[in-house]
Amino acid sequence: MTDEPSGRNLDGDAPVAEAVVETDEATITEDAELERTIGLTGGLAIGIGTMIGAGIFVFPGLAGGEIGAAASASFAVGGLIALLVALPTSELATAMPRSGGGYYFISRGLGTLAGTVIGLSLWLGLVFATAFYLVGLGYYALDALAQVGVTIGVGTDALVSGIAVVAGVAFTVLNVTGTENAAKLQNAIVALLLSMLVAFLGYGLLEAFGFVAVDTPPGEAVDVWEAVPILSVAALVFTSYLGFAQVATVAGEMKNPGRNLPLAMVGSVLIVTVLYVLTIFIATNVFTRDALLAAGETAMVEVGRALLGPAGALVIIVGGLLATMSSANASILSTSRAIYGVSKDALLPRWASRINLRYGTPHVALGMAGGPVIVLAATGQVQLLAEVASFLHLIMYGLMCVALVAIRRDRPEWYDPDFVVPGGPVVPVLGALASFGLIAFMDRLSIAVGVVVIAVTAGWYFYYARDVSLKGAL
Amino acid sequence: MTRVLVPVAVLERESVSPGLISLLGTVDVTLLGYHVLPEQTPPDQARLQFEERATAALEDLSQEFRAAGGDADHRLVFTHDREQTIQRVAGEVGADAFAVSGPTGDVDRLLVSLSGDVDVDRVLSFVERLVGDRDIGVTLFLAAGAGTPDDAAADESERTAPDDADGARLEAAADRLREAGVEATTELAEGGSPFDALIDAAAGHDAIVMAERAPSFRSLVFGDEGERVAAASVGPVIVVRDAESDASAAGTSSEPGE
Repeated sequence: MTDEPSGRNLDGDAPVAEAVVETDEATITEDAELERTIGLTGGLAIGIGTMIGAGIFVFPGLAGGEIGAAASASFAVGGLIALLVALPTSELATAMPRSGGGYYFISRGLGTLAGTVIGLSLWLGLVFATAFYLVGLGYYALDALAQVGVTIGVGTDALVSGIAVVAGVAFTVLNVTGTENAAKLQNAIVALLLSMLVAFLGYGLLEAFGFVAVDTPPGEAVDVWEAVPILSVAALVFTSYLGFAQVATVAGEMKNPGRNLPLAMVGSVLIVTVLYVLTIFIATNVFTRDALLAAGETAMVEVGRALLGPAGALVIIVGGLLATMSSANASILSTSRAIYGVSKDALLPRWASRINLRYGTPHVALGMAGGPVIVLAATGQVQLLAEVASFLHLIMYGLMCVALVAIRRDRPEWYDPDFVVPGGPVVPVLGALASFGLIAFMDRLSIAVGVVVIAVTAGWYFYYARDVSLKGAL
Repeated sequence: MTRVLVPVAVLERESVSPGLISLLGTVDVTLLGYHVLPEQTPPDQARLQFEERATAALEDLSQEFRAAGGDADHRLVFTHDREQTIQRVAGEVGADAFAVSGPTGDVDRLLVSLSGDVDVDRVLSFVERLVGDRDIGVTLFLAAGAGTPDDAAADESERTAPDDADGARLEAAADRLREAGVEATTELAEGGSPFDALIDAAAGHDAIVMAERAPSFRSLVFGDEGERVAAASVGPVIVVRDAESDASAAGTSSEPGE
């Protein structure tokens, strides 16, 4: 049917591959079937749940503090880029509805080297993103403590790192041992979050248009409506949009993937873009630039307090805790799936995808996700973590768009997507340009860290899996 | 030919009791080996690791079924949702019933529940084919007044005055079985909960046959009715599927997900 994947890695393992039949309800392999159990709601919850934690609860202070109300333009730019990537990703995902997501598409479209680099940097990118969510969680937990009257004498930075590390350990252990319905809990958290946000934003909009009045703190700084700062903030806040491609990592478990995958990916990008832009609009409406800058990572709490008093602050704190938790949890889950995809193709040792007999969970992969997350969370560097995560994801997004163009040109026999991006190569080409272009606006240090990660993953390919060939193999 | 789906959690070391295997000797069987995974685990990952072991166990089991008389094949599914898998596969293989495994010895007496708004004709014709020309007796059971499904208020008011229609319905069913050469008695339970009455009646029987009912609030909270009966009666339960769920299972593939 197609070229078989071939070659062996340093341990002598070959990629696992066999002909399978995909139906709307199951994947049928030679001897077994894999039930598809995640519906559209589940897919949206993964996308929205991963994205919303960072974007709404951590960035308004950082982004608004830098350029004021212009930050809502940054979020709109980020959303547009995410949409340009989400459309090609949807097409690829409906043609290859398998676990592994972006890694899978790139290794099949562009070959093993690109695949290894992306597979491993997707893992590490998710690790950076998770660490960032956990540090955000730390800031919110600290605010929650302050709210109930516990004041802390020691350095707050150390405490935030401490909370982030403890939460990282807790999530990893929970994922290894917890066999209860994590996804159902995730759905409930996302539903609760969305309703809280809609209520909050509704009130904020009433205030913005003068129907209700609140006291806003005085401030002098004006908004910075200039292209370069807006784009550079967009590069920073792009971490807020890293969730939609995670939907593709569970593509193998989505019911009716031809319909649900594009809807979940594009839908979650559109929903969060609207929420982000509104939130920033309200936050910068209530607070000026310097006030936001002073409030920092949890500026949203102050915005909530200004709008609705202590109750507003409480809503935002609870929301922030829930959102950063759901982001961290969803990312740890996606990480273990990313590791599995790479290990199945013999680019990582086979033991990386072993399943624990007692709990039935992939404990090695979860450990490979949780371990580095904890180390990075200990650094407490919000901005750096977010940008490196964005960098690694943007490389993947750009290459996914390139892979789509390449696969369409080669037209392998198996390529039969249910969803086709209209407009020929326009959308993927724009998506690739935008993704790579955004990197140029990042902080030098973040780019350097990202480049080192890419170099290490490429080195791993030449050391471990040089003989493995995956291109064009389904 | 009549086909019964037998789900087995094969990797949890669940098996099928010899009594159930010989009871199902008159019908064709599809063994459904399934393994439920927590959401953290991609089903494909579990398949790579466990497929061979599970397939070997399923092959042994299907041989035992074939030795008992009927034809037997097997399927293996890795899933996050057991209920969804059973419904899908039952629809795909066109199973008339599915079994809930439970320990039992040789079966000489079946308890067949006709309570509730069930397709009596479908249940009875299944029982006829299951018993065949074997020497297995049947007790037909009906909880009086439980004819209105899932409506507790109606249940209560009607059960205080058991109407003769129930008794007549039961006798007609027994007559039909006797005509087909099956030894049949009847038992009409009055008052109390239909579920408890069924469990009480289960004593002295080796297996229970009942009809599938539409999912209700109760089945959402406490789980599938067949499962609950099996758990409470400590024996195998055979649930005769609804003609409608056949149709709807066949229709889900064209229907958008969820």
